[in-house]
Amino acid sequence: MILVDYRLKLAKRMLFNKKGSLIGAVLAVTIGILVIHVNFVIFQGLFDAIVRDISNYRNGDVLVTDEADYINKSDLSIVSWFERIPYVVGATPRLSSTAEMNMTKNGKLIEETRVPIVGIDPFRDIKASTVHETVSEGNYVFSRNSIVLGSNVAADLGGAEVGDSVKVLVVDRFGEDQIRRFTVSGIAKSPGGQGFDYTAVVHIDTLRDMLKRPGDTGSFMVKLNDPSKASEVKEFFLRSFPNDDFLAETIEESAEEQLAGFRSGIAMISMIGYFGMMSSAFAILTIQMMLVNGKTKEIGIMRAIGAKRKDILIVFIFQGMIIGAIGAGVGTAAGLGYTFYAKETKMSFNNSLPLEVSYNWEKIIQTALTSFALAIIASLYPSYRATKLLPVEAMRTV
Amino acid sequence: MSFSIEKGEIVLIVGSSGSGKSTLLNMIGLLDHPSNGKIFIDGVDTTTLDDNEISSFRNKKLGFIFQFSNLLTDLSVLENVLLPRQIGGTDGAAEKEAMDLLNAVGLEKQMHKRANKISGGQAQRVAIARGLINHPSIVLADEPTGNLDSVTSETIVQLMKSMAKKLDQTFIIVTHDRQHFGQVDKVITIKDGRSYEGEQPSGMEVLA
Repeated sequence: MILVDYRLKLAKRMLFNKKGSLIGAVLAVTIGILVIHVNFVIFQGLFDAIVRDISNYRNGDVLVTDEADYINKSDLSIVSWFERIPYVVGATPRLSSTAEMNMTKNGKLIEETRVPIVGIDPFRDIKASTVHETVSEGNYVFSRNSIVLGSNVAADLGGAEVGDSVKVLVVDRFGEDQIRRFTVSGIAKSPGGQGFDYTAVVHIDTLRDMLKRPGDTGSFMVKLNDPSKASEVKEFFLRSFPNDDFLAETIEESAEEQLAGFRSGIAMISMIGYFGMMSSAFAILTIQMMLVNGKTKEIGIMRAIGAKRKDILIVFIFQGMIIGAIGAGVGTAAGLGYTFYAKETKMSFNNSLPLEVSYNWEKIIQTALTSFALAIIASLYPSYRATKLLPVEAMRTV
Repeated sequence: MSFSIEKGEIVLIVGSSGSGKSTLLNMIGLLDHPSNGKIFIDGVDTTTLDDNEISSFRNKKLGFIFQFSNLLTDLSVLENVLLPRQIGGTDGAAEKEAMDLLNAVGLEKQMHKRANKISGGQAQRVAIARGLINHPSIVLADEPTGNLDSVTSETIVQLMKSMAKKLDQTFIIVTHDRQHFGQVDKVITIKDGRSYEGEQPSGMEVLA
């Protein structure tokens, strides 16, 4: 019994004998932490989900382009070079343009202009991208005259369906109109709309023919089994082709423009979370003031029997530490529970983009330590007030 | 006023209500500061001590028994008795000494009860034990029987007297209940801001 510091023991007893105040203070810390965790799961999860989808559908982990707009090297040479690297899952060429489309539906001609059109290599694309998984009806591009329409393009064309015939017009490199008829092989619809919902997908060789760009490629998207190696792979690639004008970017670099606004949004949401935590600190301060007021007589007795001001200060700071420790523990457990739930259920809102939920241990520990520190800081003023009580006057308190 | 008290004496401070008995006791107990004059305890001029020294002095040299016992209700009986010792920096013998004191005041069976679960008379006995745990130079008691019935008051008075004799302990007791205490070593009467030795003010100020 004697081994425990009497001030800690007294702080604990005073606090645990005021269960209402203890629960209130712990709840304040818990809610503060939970707000941070929920914010992180939702907003960081949304950010990571967008990064994931941009990487999976469009840019890969490394995106290779050329300063001269088109890459002249053969697909085989570039893809083979990448696929020798153990980190690389797959590499695939892409070629992009815009098209005009029309189709006759129920006897009515419907035209659609300025539709983004992407040429892909069907055999390589399914290794490096997950666009094929978004084809909810029919199949991915499998032949030179098949086309996959994004769900929004299909809707704009009056409800194009698998098997319908679509006429596609592109302007080639010489400014001539090139028209070809395609059969709709599939309709693509991605959760959250980050896929090719507004795009048409055709075979890359067909698009090259139409654009009069045989052998030209717009970009190569490279998918890695370990995205953290992206910079390493990029640098290695650029070093290996010193005489070409290749540009290589990691997902953070290639998607920077799309993500910049979102990043500042997340920073703002985090700040709101920390303001929530500050509110918790004010709640603790209020509860601690109530505890000090409720223990005025005890403070007087302690001072009368020889406790120094410092001892009184320590008792109430210990109370803040106990509140902070329990609150940080409960809040972190609740936050981890929510994160686990969000991860296991692949949480999404209104069936849209599934959040990319991760456990950021550094952030979790930082949040717990911050709330613990805030609980102590919030206890400083009430503790100081407690030390200012005069023993005789304090003992007169009923 | 000026008076001195020898070690082992039981001194009663009596006087009418509002005469300043408790104020005098609070000054001796360093809970109040005299506006002028000096108070010497064990040869130390206590009016020159700073706040930390006063706290240490109160802890080591003074024991307190208040009218309403003033125990910490969050602690057990034993923990209340131990508290002054722990404040001063505990030692291995403290717990045994506290138990011995509780035995001496007849509360050995109540020592693990919460302080708010015992009667007023028992609480006052705990306060006596707490006042004695640090072997103080003086135990100061402010109306120790003021809140008790006459039978319990008698028990408390006898207990204080027996402890004073057994431990050669100085007690300064403020009371308006003179007859309960019977024979004591000294009685100081406060009247009109002056102190007189004896039951009735004789006009002769006591200088010691």
